[in-house]
Amino acid sequence: MSTTVSATTGDSRPAGPARAPATAAPPASARRAGRRRLGACALLMTPFFVLLVAVFLVPVGTALWLSFFGADQPGLGFGPERTVFVGLRSYTAALTDPTFLGGLATVALYCLLYIPLMVLCALALALLLDSGAVRLRAWAQLSLFLPHAVPGIIAAIIWLYLYTPGLSPVVDLLARADITVDFLGINAVIPSIANIAMWSNLGYNVIILYAALQAVPREVIEAAVVDGAGPVRTAVRVKTPLLRPAVVMVAMFTLIWSMQLFTEPMLLSQSAPLINSRFTPSMYIYDAAFTRNNYGLAAAASVVLLACTIALSYGVTRWTNRADTAEEAAR
Amino acid sequence: MHGRLSRRSVLAATAALPLAATAACTGGVEDNTPAARGGSGGRRPVRVTFWSALRGSQEVVDAFNSTHDRVQVDFQQIPSGGQGGYAKLSNAARAGNAPDVATIEYPQVPGFAIDGVARDITDLVGDDLRAKLLPQAWGLTSFEGRTFTVPLDVEPMVLHYRTDLFREYGVDGAPATWDEFEEAARRVRDRAPDDRRLALFPTDGMTQFAAYSWQAGARWFDTSDGAWNVSMADAATRRVAAYWQRLVDADLVHINATEGTRHTAQIGQGQLLAKLSGAWDAGAQMNSHPGQTGKWAVAPLPQWDTGRPATGTHGGSTFAVTKDSRNPEAAMEFIAWQVSHPDALRARLSSGASSQLPAAPELIEVGREAFDRTYYGGQDIYALFRREAEMIDDSWTWGPRMTATQKVMQDGFARVGHGRGSLIDSVRQAQRGTMPDLKALGLATTEHSN
Repeated sequence: MSTTVSATTGDSRPAGPARAPATAAPPASARRAGRRRLGACALLMTPFFVLLVAVFLVPVGTALWLSFFGADQPGLGFGPERTVFVGLRSYTAALTDPTFLGGLATVALYCLLYIPLMVLCALALALLLDSGAVRLRAWAQLSLFLPHAVPGIIAAIIWLYLYTPGLSPVVDLLARADITVDFLGINAVIPSIANIAMWSNLGYNVIILYAALQAVPREVIEAAVVDGAGPVRTAVRVKTPLLRPAVVMVAMFTLIWSMQLFTEPMLLSQSAPLINSRFTPSMYIYDAAFTRNNYGLAAAASVVLLACTIALSYGVTRWTNRADTAEEAAR
Repeated sequence: MHGRLSRRSVLAATAALPLAATAACTGGVEDNTPAARGGSGGRRPVRVTFWSALRGSQEVVDAFNSTHDRVQVDFQQIPSGGQGGYAKLSNAARAGNAPDVATIEYPQVPGFAIDGVARDITDLVGDDLRAKLLPQAWGLTSFEGRTFTVPLDVEPMVLHYRTDLFREYGVDGAPATWDEFEEAARRVRDRAPDDRRLALFPTDGMTQFAAYSWQAGARWFDTSDGAWNVSMADAATRRVAAYWQRLVDADLVHINATEGTRHTAQIGQGQLLAKLSGAWDAGAQMNSHPGQTGKWAVAPLPQWDTGRPATGTHGGSTFAVTKDSRNPEAAMEFIAWQVSHPDALRARLSSGASSQLPAAPELIEVGREAFDRTYYGGQDIYALFRREAEMIDDSWTWGPRMTATQKVMQDGFARVGHGRGSLIDSVRQAQRGTMPDLKALGLATTEHSN
């Protein structure tokens, strides 16, 4: 966005007062420059569009196709296959499957717990880093960010070790203090997964918010200090409102990530019987495709999940935009 | 956001491609069926690949290879179905390189037949082979008059029990009815130390639960009228569920998984006085707890009605010739030998880890002689197995997506183990979690008793 703006202004400035005739009959050199710029644009943007088509549009198209066509065998299913248009059959099946709806509910519950927690913790830590209260800021940042560099699978294995009774030193220590915790028990499963995700992603979000904080004009903060605001008040009343767009972005990314929750529960399910093979929608899709050999159903569930994600993201954007304009109007 | 979703879609897409490709292949392969041509001259043996997770398979293959010139078998031991063996087979079939011969347990036969992994072998099965094996066993591997796999063994569910501990806690012999079983369970709970119980309700035990229901006369799936008629919570199943629920609620049985170290410890330390499982489990028990020699015996499964004794099966395997096999005749020759030749059974039992009851009745005598009876204090367990096998109700049919049905049901059982939900709810959930699958596959279905 910003590059286009500067390009246009850069273009219009030399034209100056002679603007009208220039647009009516642009000189050959300008036209050539224009074409060159267009060529550069095309060249630079091609990789993006190639990738967009290859790894997003084509697979989404395939999923749509798979969800509407099936290799059917009539009756009991032992006959020869033939590909037929099945309409909404796969969608009906997915949406009437209690295990799929249960997965959606699980993820909804997880989002309710995880997103507010993530946003609040990331915000608090970013403000703390920015306030100068933390001495070794670079070290603090690095150690916060480090878990994010650990692949999700490894993170899940580390935590599985820490959660498993009999293996885990944490459970042992707690047991010695007469506290019995079953981290993989019926009430603790979702918080346990949220904890893994927090550990992995907190640092990343702190960095985003911290970077956004660097863009807060210093004079605003100085003015607040001059007016007698303490560090806490400055953080809550001055910096936080200015961070709004970044906070919304963090919330949005976290939401999208959570909707596709897969790695952590998938690994935990190996040893936690309460995490079943269809625990989240992504796991349902995997199970449908690879243990049930039911591609139509898997594709339909994928499309439903994609639609939910898009709708929620759109909803969040719309809601924050409206809140923004309302706020501006109030001023 | 796009990254993760699209990766999945690509996976589905790439997985679907070979599916189409192999579908195209099968036609070609079938045209080549006189593929055993290389072997008939005796110059170069036909090589057949064979995957199995069954104990003693290596011994069987060695015995086959040493007595056959025309056909030679390359054996690969793979993980058991639930541990990834079935996923491996499906993926190989999708990629077009499934082995010539694969091992499939009874519950999964319809699924692999529908997916086209197991070839229609109706015409490959000779009349003498068909006559050699029990018709009940063929019934579980044939649909709409076509046969998809060859049964190896038939496993009636029996009661394995600790004679010494039964005596110690005053349980007089094996309970003959389920009422007596409950009474014995109460006695053990009251008299034995706190961690000892008569038996286990396995939370990963859909197959055990199915066997109880089967015995009680349930029919979860029925294929009359050209449709899958699903009725998992029928009256017989509800009765079985209520019975075990009562035992669980009254703390008369342990409730946990059979996979894993906990169960091994329970058996090893005598925390379980009895095991309800297929005939094959006698060999497995001998193999994993050699220290308990002379302490175990086998009895018939307790009955609901001693006037009309019945039993279900637990376990048992079949062999399929896969769609990718280039030598179906040679593959069938190996299968036929494996399920019906005395040397095959002797080789399998020589591993010391098997006590399977062959689906070929004339082999039972071979098994009886080859089986080492010392572990069971000289008890003639094969004679008992044979009597029990005759009581297997032959109206049972497994469903078309049993692995998935099993997972959903066991997810429910696991929750019951944590004090949530009930057994019958788990069964209903399993049915509700199965129907959408069958419908999305385009199968004809009807639903009952849910």
